[in-house]
Amino acid sequence: MSLELNVDNLVKSFGPRKLFHIDQLRVGEGESLHLSGENGSGKTTLMKILAGLEKPCSGRVLVTPKARRWWSDRIHPQVIYLHQTPYIFNGNVRDNVAYGLRLRSYSREETRIKVQQALVWSRLEHLADQPAHSLSGGEKQRLALARAWILSPSLLFLDEPTANLDKQSVGTVEELVTQLLDKGTTVMVSSHQKNAVTDLCGRRLHLENLALQELSPELTSAPE
Amino acid sequence: MDSGLLATCMAALDLLFSGDAELWNIIWVSFRVSITAILLSIVPAVAVGFMLAMVDFPGRWMVIALFNALMAVPTVVVGLTLYLLLSRSGPFGELQLLFSQPAMIIGQVLLCVPVLVCMSHSAFQGLDRRAWETARTLGAHCARAAITMVCEARFALLAAVLASFSRIISEVGCSMMVGGNILSYTRNIPTAIALETSKGEFAQGVALGLVLLILALVLNFTLASVRGKGQLV
Repeated sequence: MSLELNVDNLVKSFGPRKLFHIDQLRVGEGESLHLSGENGSGKTTLMKILAGLEKPCSGRVLVTPKARRWWSDRIHPQVIYLHQTPYIFNGNVRDNVAYGLRLRSYSREETRIKVQQALVWSRLEHLADQPAHSLSGGEKQRLALARAWILSPSLLFLDEPTANLDKQSVGTVEELVTQLLDKGTTVMVSSHQKNAVTDLCGRRLHLENLALQELSPELTSAPE
Repeated sequence: MDSGLLATCMAALDLLFSGDAELWNIIWVSFRVSITAILLSIVPAVAVGFMLAMVDFPGRWMVIALFNALMAVPTVVVGLTLYLLLSRSGPFGELQLLFSQPAMIIGQVLLCVPVLVCMSHSAFQGLDRRAWETARTLGAHCARAAITMVCEARFALLAAVLASFSRIISEVGCSMMVGGNILSYTRNIPTAIALETSKGEFAQGVALGLVLLILALVLNFTLASVRGKGQLV
């Protein structure tokens, strides 16, 4: 399903400290965006607001077409946010990958097949029955991506997905993100530095001085 | 060992293993009342602990402080309050619950709820907020995400349940005041130990004390075994 994200007059403050004020932002189907900004500029908070995990002080985030039920406070079931350091549930890798599917109405056999596909996709097949807490940082990041991939998200927010990863792990994450983009998933990646994953992005947004600026595509060297 | 003490211990073991009806009835009353009280308390108390950890509302710290204070209230004070409420001249006198098992259950619920709330609040507070956010972003509605949080905190919550059960199975004050220590009806292990000891009949007291000791060991070994080696992850 293709989604469009529209933001109007979004303001977030923590007490007297204003974090940002975003007049307008539109993200269309299949786009890839790199959100940059210094530490503490509000990248994570902005992504959580866009993903519906935090509430803004004012303004609105609209995802179309709407799929929000009247009783739900979730922004859209096809919108997924991944933390900088993924949270890993108790249990093994397979259980973690299957978490989202078990919330939906899939049969046990369908779940088993999809989990297996996700494990192959994320190259975690050989670790399927390992306790998920025992994975390395790069493997946990791949597990988080597999947990999202299995749900076929239309809009995926990746918060600093390559922070603290070695070169090889960054390369693997880059490949996985490339495949998500090829499937038509809209991806927003936050990072205060340019790297192999942010290089995949077609649009560049920079959060600075309480505002979100769109940088022209030619400014490839901006901001590090 | 002193021969009198040895004789008392032997008599206590004899009472336990001979299947003494009076003794086993006391044990049955104790477990029936305390298990009912804990089962009635678990869901609402853990839900309150969860809300206190997750939902920010004005006066939250006051509610937390209140439950912490209630944990320290002596059991006789809870018993006295309940006695006044349930006695004939009290507001709930018409219910005629005084000196009954339901009165003991109410008293034990009042005793274990603050322990469960405070310990479950600490258990949830110790969890990472990312657990909630990850569950929600992967499609869990609020209730399902709350169940995930319970699963993530299960060892700490189990410890809370065991601590609460230990508090109520061994309390004397409240059971004595609102139960009345009636043989075969409201006489439980702690009130029986107090009574038999005051009469100088130590054998039954020692036998019942052994039951509590074994229970404490079983509960703690159970907790230790489900926790595994207790290592950090």
